[in-house]
Amino acid sequence: MKALRLGTFGLAAAAWIACAWLLLDDAVPGGLELPTVNVDATFGAALVDEAERYERFLRVDWLLSQIVLLVVLWIYARKGVGFTRQSAAGPIGTGMLLGMLGLGIVWLVQLPFGLAAVWWERRYETTEIGYLEWALGDWLALGAAFLSICLALLVVMALARWLGEHWWLPGTAVFVGIAALFTFVSPYLVTTTRLEDPALVAAARRYERQQGLPEIPLRVEEVSGQTSQANAYAVGLGPTRRVVLWDTLLDGRFSDGAERVVVAHELAHHSSDHLPKFLAWFALFAAPGAYLIMRVTRRRGGMGHPEAVPVALLVTAVFGLVVAPAENWISRRMEAEADWKALQSTRDPVGARALFSGFADTSLGDPSPPTWAYVMLETHPTLEQRVAMADAWRARSP
Amino acid sequence: MCHVIEAPDRRPIRLVVSDDLQRSRLTVFFRLLLALPHFVWILLWSAAAFTVAFVAWLAVLFERRVPRTLHDFLAAYLRYATHVSAYLYLAAGPYPGFTGRPGYPVDVEIDPPREQGRWGAGFRLVLALPALLLMAALVGGGGGGNSGGSAGIAAVAAFLAWFACLAQGRMPRGLRDLVTYALGYGAQATGYLLMLTSRYPSADPSLVQPPAELPEHPVRLVLTDTLERSRLTVLFRLLLSFPHLVWLTLWTVVVLLVSFFVWLVALVLGRVPRFLHRFLAAWVRYTAHVSAFLYVVGGPFPGFLGAAGSYPVDVEIDPPARQHRLKTLFRFLLALPALLLAGAFGTVLLVVAVLGWFYALFTGRMPPGLRDLGAVSVRYSAQASAYLFLLTDRYPYSAPALAAPPHDEQLELVPTP
Repeated sequence: MKALRLGTFGLAAAAWIACAWLLLDDAVPGGLELPTVNVDATFGAALVDEAERYERFLRVDWLLSQIVLLVVLWIYARKGVGFTRQSAAGPIGTGMLLGMLGLGIVWLVQLPFGLAAVWWERRYETTEIGYLEWALGDWLALGAAFLSICLALLVVMALARWLGEHWWLPGTAVFVGIAALFTFVSPYLVTTTRLEDPALVAAARRYERQQGLPEIPLRVEEVSGQTSQANAYAVGLGPTRRVVLWDTLLDGRFSDGAERVVVAHELAHHSSDHLPKFLAWFALFAAPGAYLIMRVTRRRGGMGHPEAVPVALLVTAVFGLVVAPAENWISRRMEAEADWKALQSTRDPVGARALFSGFADTSLGDPSPPTWAYVMLETHPTLEQRVAMADAWRARSP
Repeated sequence: MCHVIEAPDRRPIRLVVSDDLQRSRLTVFFRLLLALPHFVWILLWSAAAFTVAFVAWLAVLFERRVPRTLHDFLAAYLRYATHVSAYLYLAAGPYPGFTGRPGYPVDVEIDPPREQGRWGAGFRLVLALPALLLMAALVGGGGGGNSGGSAGIAAVAAFLAWFACLAQGRMPRGLRDLVTYALGYGAQATGYLLMLTSRYPSADPSLVQPPAELPEHPVRLVLTDTLERSRLTVLFRLLLSFPHLVWLTLWTVVVLLVSFFVWLVALVLGRVPRFLHRFLAAWVRYTAHVSAFLYVVGGPFPGFLGAAGSYPVDVEIDPPARQHRLKTLFRFLLALPALLLAGAFGTVLLVVAVLGWFYALFTGRMPPGLRDLGAVSVRYSAQASAYLFLLTDRYPYSAPALAAPPHDEQLELVPTP
């Protein structure tokens, strides 16, 4: 029996590795060596100092908030069962209550750290959002989180009550389905307008042809009321695919070449199927995560019982922190691939350099963060690495 | 018959009701116009009363007591304002005098001046704000007896009663009790603000003695709540209700779709089939559970199925019975007044929730008066929904009562003439 279990486990691990291996395939040339970049000369010594100061505070704030998060969830895992007395609902409803209360407590203890971050960002003028507006938005976001956890617990607890300990496998499938559905409809959840820059649209059409894409709608999201930071993102699946540019990117602070690089970069996410790949990665991480939750909550009777919910919250938080480096590494690979494809499409390393220098200026991004922060927090290559990639592309394509 | 607010624990400001429910159709028809001279007079008197109240406030700060003459002046004002409001809101028939003399069918009894605490007096205006907020929801923005400001539940009840009085020449008992309850609370709150007493107003509907009538009804509230509240669930009450609100919305859509079919079936059969009755009854119960939870009237997190007996603020619904086809045919139109009043009860419930939320957050308990007022609102809304969705053809009863008056054996011994 034990051998069978070990064999199954080994087989699952092998399948996991094989899938991960397939997903890691990308367009960045193997063995590409990034040249050294003189950070001070590229971004300006004063800006680098300011960005370091800016990000240092936010990192410490994040670190403290994570420590508090784990401590609070640990206490909640031990004491949270007492809140079952506050429920007149059945086991699943009570589980939902415990899940929501857990999130509520986490929100409460994280509130000072969030406020501190807003205060810091306002001080450096990277955000224009007011404290009240932030708190209100955060409160509404908490409401959305409450609904999400209710849905998640409804799925998990209903499956656990039906299938016992085997819930984690179909549970993973359901969550991947929900994530896919969310990715599919997410373009419709944000208010955007059509991009009205004919030159940029024409450039985008050119890049689409180069990258083998059909016409992808280009949209603009108005965020200038809340922040001065510039950003863009690719959303949607199949027919709902979009590229969304923040209006802060188009307010004249970035050159035409830089804007074209951004559009090419976001299109590259679509041409490289990064969103479906992200869903696949999500499945690869969700499965062991769900299995771990199933194992750890055994002592509380399993996920069919509301008493297991506080423990499940703690396990989810710890698991999220543990796999964060791997997830960030995967994300950075995807971003690097998009950068490379953008350079291939635009053939404009000068524009790319201008873009990344501009990011340091508008978002106060630290060009070369400390290693632990890079591993735990950075979902994109550092600005130094991105400039180096532009230089590497120029060296390869004279 | 006299109804006095709070006999067991005698409160310093009490509403006395000796109204016989009879109304002259002519004076009801012109009620608003007839009250015009009183509006002018009360405006002048209000200005004087609030000036005197300021002097009374200073007197309490220094002497801890309102001088007798000032107290009597303010008491007469409060009585007069209540008389005018009762007349305007059809809670009483006779035209009131202009002096606030005792003896009107809806009157206020006010104790002589007593010693008051300086701290309570110093912060009286701030302390009175919650009571004034509730008074606004009950009586209207002007309150306590005032006739101005935004409409409260008493005004909505009076609006409905106007038609009933014109039709029957008689004030419906439930609406009268609702208006007098609101006026009683308004009188307490205004008296507290005007320094007539340091006793905080009580919203407890059961303080009306003898208790307001609550006739047998196929839809009844069952209250087993303990008043204890978990501060954490109170803090996140609105957000914790989100999943219920989503589920309730979906369920309501289905109910609305089904209700037309139910209406047709009830018209043909003269009754609602048992399985449909069960489905709709569960929805009414669930709505009551969610309302009670959201508005802090109930403590625990409710279940999602509206199961009978599963929540401490529950609704009992009788099995399906034969219904009058004519009432069924015009059910939606007939339900409109009840829905209007249910909307006003909803406003009261919202105020109860806001005040109860703060109170429960600090004390871990819900004040019994507020909880019971909230429970009355939940009960009325459940009865209105049950009427609209054909669970019963019995009209909702508006009196602010939670339970039938206690059975008095001695009364039973009196032979009926």
